[in-house]
Amino acid sequence: MTNTTSPANSMDPLALELCALSKTFKLGGGMLHKPQTLKAVNEVSLRVPRGQVMGLVGESGCGKSTLAKMLLGLTPPSSGDVLINGKAIVNANQKALARHIQPIFQDPYSSLNPRQRIAQIVGLPLRIHALGTPREQAAKVDQMLDLVGLPKRAAQQYPGQMSGGQRQRVAIARALIMRPDLVICDEPTSALDVSIQAQILNLLLDLKDEFGLTYLFISHDLAVVEHLADRLAVMYLGQIVEEGTREQIFTSPRHPYTQALLASALTPEPGLGVPDIGLGAGQPDPTQPPSGCAFHPRCPIAQPQCSEQTPKLSAITHASGQAFGKGSQARVACHLA
Amino acid sequence: MSNLSTAEHSAATSSPLLTVKQLRVDLPVAKGTLHAVRGIDFHVERGEMLCLVGESGCGKSMTSLALMGLLPRKAQVNADCLNFDGVDLLTVPERERSNLRGARMAMIFQEPMTALNPAYTLGNQLCEALRRHQRVSRQAAHDRALYLLKRVGISAAEERMRQYPHQLSGGLRQRVMIAMALMCEPDLIIADEPTTALDVTIQAQILHLLRDLQQEFGTAIIFITHDLGVVARIADRVAVMYAGEVIETASAQALFKAPSHPYTQGLLRCIPTPGKTLPGSRLQAIPGVVPSLVGKIEGCAFCNRCDQADERCRTTPPLQAVAGEHFSRCHFAHQLASPAPLNDQEVTS
Repeated sequence: MTNTTSPANSMDPLALELCALSKTFKLGGGMLHKPQTLKAVNEVSLRVPRGQVMGLVGESGCGKSTLAKMLLGLTPPSSGDVLINGKAIVNANQKALARHIQPIFQDPYSSLNPRQRIAQIVGLPLRIHALGTPREQAAKVDQMLDLVGLPKRAAQQYPGQMSGGQRQRVAIARALIMRPDLVICDEPTSALDVSIQAQILNLLLDLKDEFGLTYLFISHDLAVVEHLADRLAVMYLGQIVEEGTREQIFTSPRHPYTQALLASALTPEPGLGVPDIGLGAGQPDPTQPPSGCAFHPRCPIAQPQCSEQTPKLSAITHASGQAFGKGSQARVACHLA
Repeated sequence: MSNLSTAEHSAATSSPLLTVKQLRVDLPVAKGTLHAVRGIDFHVERGEMLCLVGESGCGKSMTSLALMGLLPRKAQVNADCLNFDGVDLLTVPERERSNLRGARMAMIFQEPMTALNPAYTLGNQLCEALRRHQRVSRQAAHDRALYLLKRVGISAAEERMRQYPHQLSGGLRQRVMIAMALMCEPDLIIADEPTTALDVTIQAQILHLLRDLQQEFGTAIIFITHDLGVVARIADRVAVMYAGEVIETASAQALFKAPSHPYTQGLLRCIPTPGKTLPGSRLQAIPGVVPSLVGKIEGCAFCNRCDQADERCRTTPPLQAVAGEHFSRCHFAHQLASPAPLNDQEVTS
């Protein structure tokens, strides 16, 4: 594994860097109501070294997908910077951005145009960017379909004629045909059956090695994230509460939220029963986030200070820091960690 | 709650609560007939948790809708036996059937937002479930709804009773669905992927709740899911479905210890399991896709994806006993049952 490289080391090439990235939405408002503000993403800073898989986990509504949209240039950030390969993208042209970063979405049923043939769908980026002659483009499409494990005849089919797994392969082919550096995988397997999920995960790993890709892998399935990710960031109500290498997060999680998330993942081991994770009901209303640490109302170990002071995401040295390789820095936002 | 219970029905008898023999569900489609469920057998004991596991399109939801009598009219349901606590569900008149539904067999759906009526308050919908079936006063129904909302862990229950479904989060809505299913103290609850749309943290809480309530009320539950992690943690018995058939059935312990059908083995191998699969390694995926259920399937439905298939698999394998109550629909079930530890190539030391 490549965990010995440090994300904090400025010598390493970073595929992606987020600097205090925020997105605020205004909700409602009108003649009689003041609009409410919702901080979907709140000052997120993250560095993803080239060639690594950064897992991003958290409950629904924690801002994972808003973050992904900002990276793809689909939503402008309210403040903060996104740097891809060291260059800020905030004012970058969408077309130029698309050559470096591509998405794979969750639902392969709604992300493919049902009225276009697969060859058109996969070849569209080449046509938009006017790369090569039509013949070269067709050859490239064939090659790409072959790489993602689709038969040649698939090129002439429509998405409606394909299974969910095959469609997700098409989505992957479309994302990779421009040879991007960075791929945002937003729950790429959660709409698929388990037997198909394994095929797609294997494919994503193979393609990563083949093209030297960097993935930002968003998922709620912790077993899948543990399988793929080199590093992991845990989000709660728009903020990163813990970040570290896979080993750090999975073997010694420091934030109580990370601990609860890991405890609630159900592995196929009979007889263990369902864990009692003791996290009250759902997340609080994001338009009225709790004072201090946003997690304190659900936190089993909350202290008085937690409702008063907001903990900063700060570097920690793990007790067994050396075991994870030197320089593998972890960050956690908790007064008590 | 004694006045609300159906004590005379739930008197302990030795016969299973639900017996299903050779259930078939056929749907006419443009290209012919879709055999969604192709002759399945299973039974549910009183107070037990049976998990129906399988991938999408394997017929698990069709089975549950057939049991509830909620299939579209054009669907054809046939069975040798479909017996719910002495009532023959195949011949029972629709009127009596709708008296059973909700009162003695209830259903919890995957997406509570579509299962709850957005135009009525939760209290209204909860009370209706009870007053439809039993002669109770408004006040008594209200009290029971309040009690159950509290029991499923909803705070400020009195206030929630006056709210509409959209005012609740997904986890809370699913709790309301569970409370609604429990209103008449049914003998059987069919839960169709009740936690699939929820976050893992909420899923754990809902599963916990279902397990507790099942023990408290002695309700039998058919839990439909595709998630083997969930199955392992909550099931008493498991029936694995593939292409409209039950291909393996066993106690949860036996199934996970010695899976005896290549499909079950494949399913268990292909999910990444912390501590068993090496991160970043290739997963053992099951090649190919599920066969089409339109028209007849000759021989074993899994044989085109199975690495052990040979000549014999062109004939349909019978459901044969591997050990005790452990059955597998595979010609090689006995060889497969001899324990070859799963993931042995991948185990990290």
